[in-house]
Amino acid sequence: MKRKRDRLEVIYDILKIIRHYNNSIKPTPLLRYSNLSSQSFSEYLSELLKKGFIKEIIDENGRKFFTLTDKGFEYLEKYKLIIGFINEFEL
Amino acid sequence: MPPFHLIDPTRLAVELAYTLIVVFLCFTIYYKTREIFDLTKHEGIKYFRITFLFFGLAYISRFISVLLKLMVVTFDIYFPIHIFGIFPLVFIGYFSTMAILSLTYSILWKKLHIKHTFLLFNVIAVLISGIAFFSRSPSILILAQAVLLIFTSIIIAHYIFSNSRKISRLYILYILFFLFWIVNLIALGPRRLLPFEIQTVFQVISIAVIGIIYYKVAKWT
Repeated sequence: MKRKRDRLEVIYDILKIIRHYNNSIKPTPLLRYSNLSSQSFSEYLSELLKKGFIKEIIDENGRKFFTLTDKGFEYLEKYKLIIGFINEFEL
Repeated sequence: MPPFHLIDPTRLAVELAYTLIVVFLCFTIYYKTREIFDLTKHEGIKYFRITFLFFGLAYISRFISVLLKLMVVTFDIYFPIHIFGIFPLVFIGYFSTMAILSLTYSILWKKLHIKHTFLLFNVIAVLISGIAFFSRSPSILILAQAVLLIFTSIIIAHYIFSNSRKISRLYILYILFFLFWIVNLIALGPRRLLPFEIQTVFQVISIAVIGIIYYKVAKWT
């Protein structure tokens, strides 16, 4: 059985997907690849927007895309250190 | 009976150096973990880092308390210690209780799910500093903190054993950290229970324990 991902891991996965798709992805494929229920996905998306990890871009045809901010890239870069720290101190 | 806590330059220098090193390590741990907390808003990281902020402040209060005592005896100055001497004690009680509870909660937060945690900790810390204030006695504060430390150590041990059934190195480190804090408080007592040399040895080991925690933090930040 696959273990349940924790909050920080889900955030990492979402950000990684956005980066993987040239830092620009539409909401529907992002939902599909992130492997979350639509309700959880909406909650995570709101959190990421609120924290400034991602931003919403609407192109000239009115299509919505998500892209990483500098803070989002920083989270991806520091993720391994963050997890290492949490494991080290059993937090 | 010999006079107690007579100031001597060596003792003051040792106390000052000890306080400076410990406070520096504690505040650096607090500062170094800021970035990963800002990125994650992780509850465990939040309580872990404020532990060291509060311990730093507790050590400063402790030094002020020791200094006041030494000044009064040595320089024979009039100083209403029964009034002013009590304030560092109250702050020691508050800051150290907050630190002990925060460190415990940083490990247990996933299991405990307490509402209004910070408020609850403040209430307990104010109660303990209230005990210090009304009793005006470091001994009562030591006793209250010892009870708190035993209680929190048992809770942490129970949690760790139920998870992995083995004692982690981190647990030993935290227990030592708590233990040395009590030894530090003993220095505030009305009689010198520990000879200066023994106390200095404890202080050196105490720096080593905080140093190991600092090293572990620095590895990831």
